Amino acid sequence: MCCVIAAADTMQAPVNDERDIPSSWEDFPSPVACLPGEISDVRQRYPNQDVESDEIFYKQLAEVSRSFALVLGGDFNFPDVCWKYYAAERQQSQRYLKCVEDNILTQLGAVSEASRVMVASRNYADFASEATFEIKKCDLHRLEEGPSTTAVMTREEGLHYYKTMQTIRRMELKSDQLYKQKIIRGFCHLYDGQEACCVGLEVAIKPTDHVITAYRAHGFTYARGVPVREILAELTGRKGGCVKGKGGSMHMYTKNFYGGNGIVGAQVPLGAGIALACKYFGKNEVCLTLYGDGAANQGQIFETYNMAALWKLPCVFICENNRYGMGTSVERAAASTDYYKRGDFIPGLRVDGMDVLCVREAAKFATEYCRAGKGPILMELQTYRYHGHSMSDPGISYRTREEIQEVRSKSDPITLLKDRMVNTNLASIEELKEIDVAVRKEIEEAAQFATTDPEPPLEELGNHIYFNEPPFEVRGPNQWIKYKSVS
Amino acid sequence: MNLFQSITSALDNALAKDPTAVVFGEDVAFGGVFRCTVGLRDKYGKDRVFNTPLCEQGIVGFGIGVAVAGATAIAEIQFADYIFPAFDQIVNEAAKYRYRSGDLFNCGNLTIRAPWGCVGHGALYHSQSPEAFFAHCPGIKIVIPRSPLQAKGLLLSCIEDKNPCIFFEPKILYRAAVEQVPVEPYNIPLSQAEVLQTGSDVTLVAWGTQVHVIKEVAAMAQEKLGVSCEVIDLRTILPWDTETVCKSVAKTGRLLISHEAPLTGGFASEISSTVQEECFLNLEAPISRVCGYDTPFPHIFEPFYIPDKWKCYDALRKMINY
Repeated sequence: MCCVIAAADTMQAPVNDERDIPSSWEDFPSPVACLPGEISDVRQRYPNQDVESDEIFYKQLAEVSRSFALVLGGDFNFPDVCWKYYAAERQQSQRYLKCVEDNILTQLGAVSEASRVMVASRNYADFASEATFEIKKCDLHRLEEGPSTTAVMTREEGLHYYKTMQTIRRMELKSDQLYKQKIIRGFCHLYDGQEACCVGLEVAIKPTDHVITAYRAHGFTYARGVPVREILAELTGRKGGCVKGKGGSMHMYTKNFYGGNGIVGAQVPLGAGIALACKYFGKNEVCLTLYGDGAANQGQIFETYNMAALWKLPCVFICENNRYGMGTSVERAAASTDYYKRGDFIPGLRVDGMDVLCVREAAKFATEYCRAGKGPILMELQTYRYHGHSMSDPGISYRTREEIQEVRSKSDPITLLKDRMVNTNLASIEELKEIDVAVRKEIEEAAQFATTDPEPPLEELGNHIYFNEPPFEVRGPNQWIKYKSVS
Repeated sequence: MNLFQSITSALDNALAKDPTAVVFGEDVAFGGVFRCTVGLRDKYGKDRVFNTPLCEQGIVGFGIGVAVAGATAIAEIQFADYIFPAFDQIVNEAAKYRYRSGDLFNCGNLTIRAPWGCVGHGALYHSQSPEAFFAHCPGIKIVIPRSPLQAKGLLLSCIEDKNPCIFFEPKILYRAAVEQVPVEPYNIPLSQAEVLQTGSDVTLVAWGTQVHVIKEVAAMAQEKLGVSCEVIDLRTILPWDTETVCKSVAKTGRLLISHEAPLTGGFASEISSTVQEECFLNLEAPISRVCGYDTPFPHIFEPFYIPDKWKCYDALRKMINY
């Protein structure tokens, strides 16, 4: 299938109006003539068009180039284009070159200055629509069988996971930058390195399921649907932030995402409570309750395990084991580092948290288990964070740079996904680079918003302490300015 | 020395003098997140200075056990905001041990240290001042120093005191406050407030970081209003030195108390109530409390939340003109 667009004066076949379609390739000068396939459509550009007509033409070109192979014949009456260097003198010609570039039309055949013929083609049909991957088997505790060891990923899914993970990665790096510039203050716990966890989990559950996690929450906030600009604005404490600037890094919330919690381990009993509500309302929802390897030693976690198992709550406990509780390695903190077994009477699985497909399959397995009414289940995601615990932690006093480098080069979640997609022809490197560019742009814009949005107004200081019908005055320093608490 | 170094010095003295003393908490082994325990593990060994897992209730419960068995336990809670899982252990176990066992047992060897107070960027969970919660519990002592020199003496007194003590360290002063501090051990008595500056018109009472704020306010008052202020650092919150404060108020007739914690139920209310009982006829104006707002400690609004010198000065002016 092929659409030909050509300039009228380089084609041997007479194409005087658009409905006259040449029947074969021989009508075209070589190397166009040796292309396989049928011609389905011909468009043309006449010499000396004005800018407006050109724009319409480029729009057509862009639309057409998405769906099937495209052959460009001729120089489109831009004689001043130098095809060797992709440069042009006149502005209109430069615009044409940009169109070619934007649609990533690559040169297929030789360009001859004399014949002024250019052939370009891009073929989406070359990409596979899906591929099957082998994934690591999960260690099981009190389970007869675990999640599947193969995963199927379609091209669309792959591109979505890639984009989401890359967005989170760049967002976290941007937060690092803004923090060092003192535009973000307070505490900031970054999630880069662990992207596969939140993305893998999010794609395995439904938007109506519930998620609660601790303070390393920016990735989840994004995955649950908050736009980057609102996350960054919340970090900088502006009123455009997802919590109006009053929460900051550790307290971001959105529908079916309960934060964002500062006190270690405190969110786990809450998660069980949410799971109870899910069971009670009978809408077949589950709650993902996340905590870290440090929190796994808190007493309230074990209280929660007991309650969840006793009442068979649809709660998926997820321990994101990034090997360090702030600065303490897991060996030095826990009598048993098999966190997936710590639920004792709760079945568990240990999952490779750097592989988004592994996380996805395990999460699907776990949520199915809960939805079937079998009670809670525990997942340990083995992952890694590149940054220190928070921005005040350089991250190298308790681990070596070599270790960080090793994980980055061998197990980086984004690189793993990229390699998989390129090797199975689900996408091309250029396409993924395109996504990178688009993501960078989005983050830049979001950062711009986050630095220029105004701070919340002072009246907000007293708001939302209680739920109260008539606003009341907030007591404060003796007879100084009083704030009304509105709710 | 600055504040964290004076704490290290105090712990060093304690570990040297008392062979049963042990220091433990989250991350204390490498020196602690505020460097209060730097070098102690190397000097005294890993069986005396050790890390605990992340479990505040466990840390304090464990500390009570160590103390009851006869060793001196110095537990660190990483931030005062995290002390609440241990609240039950402190209030129900530590505070009541001696009473309920008829003096057969006690955990007086226990001292709990925690960084306390606002720090500029702490937000909800790294800025709290929970002394009022514990003040309501007979059986424990609460001490808050204002400077390195005070901190070392008070901490050593707490460790040696035969009652469970909670020692709150103003985290904003860890590096900021520097003083000449003796290397040898010395004690500052507990339950004694200190009069930093005598005066005749107004009594200003505060503790921890806020003492420095009211000292500034006193200077402002002298300069702009010609008012002579008596500045008192309470030092021990529980049991507090009612005598010093009441004697001062009897002299001046006006009292202003200031703290970062929220107004309602803050410790200023206890002082205020006692003073009006004891010194009713001496009072020239109602007692002023300049405290934080009744909201959770805000992230972005912190400069507006804290009782800074302007708020205190304003309250003082109103009292003078009453």
